Amino acid sequence: MPRNRRTLVALICAVLATAAVTSAAAASKTSTPGVTKHQIVIGGTFPFSGPISLYKTIPLAEEAYYKYLNARGGVFHRMIKDIQLDDQYDPAKTVPEVKQLVEKDHVFAIVGSLGTAPGLATWGYLNQHKVPQTLLATGDAYWGACAKHACPASKTAKPWTIGWQPDYPGEARLYAKYILQHKKNAKIGILYQDDAYGKNYLAGLKSGLGSHANEIVDAEPYAFTDSAQVVGAHVGSIAAHGADTFVILATPGASIAALATEGHIPGWHPLTILNNVSAVRTFMLAAGQNGANLNGVISTTYQPSESAQPNNAGIKLAKRIIHKYAPALDSDFALGDTTLIYGMGTAWTFAYALQHAGKNPTRASFMHAMRSMNTKKNPFVWPGMVVKTSKTRTFPMEQLIFIKWSGGAGGDWQTFGKVLNSGH
Amino acid sequence: MRRHLPALVSLIVVAGVLSVLPFTLSSYNVALAAQVGILFIAVLGLNILTGYTGQISIGHGAFMAIGGYTTAVMSRDHNTNLVVTMLMAFAICFAVGLLVGLPALRLSGVYLALATFALAVSVPQIPLQYSTFLGGSGGVQSSRTVSNLWLYTAAWTCSAILFVLAWLILRGRIGRAFRAVRDSEIAAVASGVELPVYKTLAFGISAAYAGVAGSLFVLATNGFAQPTEFDVFLSLQILIGAAVAGLGSLWGVLVGAAFVGLLPQVSTSVPLIGAEHGRDVVFGAAVILIMLLLPGGFAGLLARLRRLARA
Repeated sequence: MPRNRRTLVALICAVLATAAVTSAAAASKTSTPGVTKHQIVIGGTFPFSGPISLYKTIPLAEEAYYKYLNARGGVFHRMIKDIQLDDQYDPAKTVPEVKQLVEKDHVFAIVGSLGTAPGLATWGYLNQHKVPQTLLATGDAYWGACAKHACPASKTAKPWTIGWQPDYPGEARLYAKYILQHKKNAKIGILYQDDAYGKNYLAGLKSGLGSHANEIVDAEPYAFTDSAQVVGAHVGSIAAHGADTFVILATPGASIAALATEGHIPGWHPLTILNNVSAVRTFMLAAGQNGANLNGVISTTYQPSESAQPNNAGIKLAKRIIHKYAPALDSDFALGDTTLIYGMGTAWTFAYALQHAGKNPTRASFMHAMRSMNTKKNPFVWPGMVVKTSKTRTFPMEQLIFIKWSGGAGGDWQTFGKVLNSGH
Repeated sequence: MRRHLPALVSLIVVAGVLSVLPFTLSSYNVALAAQVGILFIAVLGLNILTGYTGQISIGHGAFMAIGGYTTAVMSRDHNTNLVVTMLMAFAICFAVGLLVGLPALRLSGVYLALATFALAVSVPQIPLQYSTFLGGSGGVQSSRTVSNLWLYTAAWTCSAILFVLAWLILRGRIGRAFRAVRDSEIAAVASGVELPVYKTLAFGISAAYAGVAGSLFVLATNGFAQPTEFDVFLSLQILIGAAVAGLGSLWGVLVGAAFVGLLPQVSTSVPLIGAEHGRDVVFGAAVILIMLLLPGGFAGLLARLRRLARA
């Protein structure tokens, strides 16, 4: 080995060894991140673009609600600043963005981030850093089931994570009950998203069917990046299996394609059940325009809408807020887009919990408040439904009411039956 | 010794700066600097293949995916030490690289580029097919996550080791054979260079580097390996990094890696444009400008400066 090369290698090794041995000076901060006298900074990731950008109305409505709240003095005179980033529903993008929110923007908490896979991709990190990951816009069972101890989805407890809406397996069990009551010896065909989200729904449906699970004649998985044609091919396969009951456990792009395809298959008129995150009126209208046969489609809801319940107090308030702070969404609101009500409901719940976290909130006191909510006052949920958490109750909402579509391509949802418990 | 003096001095300066950097930067920026280190390894690997043997690859994202999944799966199923998983990623990708190098013997230029492009597109689909083992679209979570400082140290230590390794390989007999293959295959064969051996070897080494980069890449995303992390854009990013660095030189690699690692981050905060799409616009415009002004990349600029200094 020539001398120069040896010197070079030795030098590099020496320098790197120094770098490796020296330990980092841990910068300890005493104050709560994101909280100052006049402001509280929160953040979240949402699909502003990409395959399910139909949901971008949710963060926009949250933003509008925070503006409305700030104009009224915020919470304890602190203005709420919400940093909303676009992750395109792609967990690979969510991860660096959440890192940025926590380490660069120093947010107090992650609030309302959308999506199951994005949530799962970041909950390990957020719990490790003890950053609240709250009011996730996804109804998977993990968000509550793993709060106190390890669960099938996680080897460690995830006490810093909590969802908001009724959980998917509970919702799916209600559909199973409905099928068993209304369709003897059903032939059930299922379209589900091939990830944690779709599988969570599917598991709930199967457990609800119990010994009747053998009535499932076909369960077709699709990827959320699939084109409408690919989704349509799956629907065709379900029809070919002779299904007389069609259960759609999807996100809006695929659900619209599925409903449209169903409408185009001659002679196929199954009992159609649509999961509630896809059962927004604006999505239904889009499916109707593409030839879907919507009458009789069954779903559930936990929120009123402008088109069906215009006299509801919460709807009236939401209408004023949208008109003042996000007028571009006025027409969307008028069509009965419940994603806007959803965003408001989430934002309202955040403000409610923050208020109960004390005048000088910490991440821990906020999380404690999130886990001890009890109110029927949220104006943006179905009248009488409760937002409640406790040591034993880890899902804030556990009630749903059935809805059925009537009126064809320009129709609307009609509720039927009583408010049902979807909890455990 | 005198011939190597400028190189030695610049190496020491770079190593010195890198070793104090984590103590002056915020934790978030340490993560960014680690990201540059990871891309450094990938660009370095591609440069060995494209710069030294003249074989173009738009498929290095695929090798990164293989390396990344190796780390995630081994850590998940066997709780393997992360450093060990990096060595495994190196070995596995070396083998896969040799295999990919075989059909590459029959293809050249744009045809090889297309074949590797197919690799970049198809490999991330494999986890969707074997979703119980490889996690499907939800991805694989490694059993442990690492701190930004750990990542930084690991990324740049690997970079240093692999840089020295590349230097040792390329300055000797193998490097001469590589360059001979690049400049004229016929002349190389006539002088006794075994074409199949050296062409596949270059693919193997290059893929192994990408494997280590992929392994670190997964650790940088909280230990999550997911198909969309390794999309075609990642492969293009590495290629752009190699082009900016300047092909056939080891010195430009740092600049190339910093370019692809930092520019998208910096350009999001540019006023007016901002956000996701603005980022792509800025990135594209910068690439065009660099290719116009510095056709030889950063290495070409260095060479030009050296000539000026001598004149």
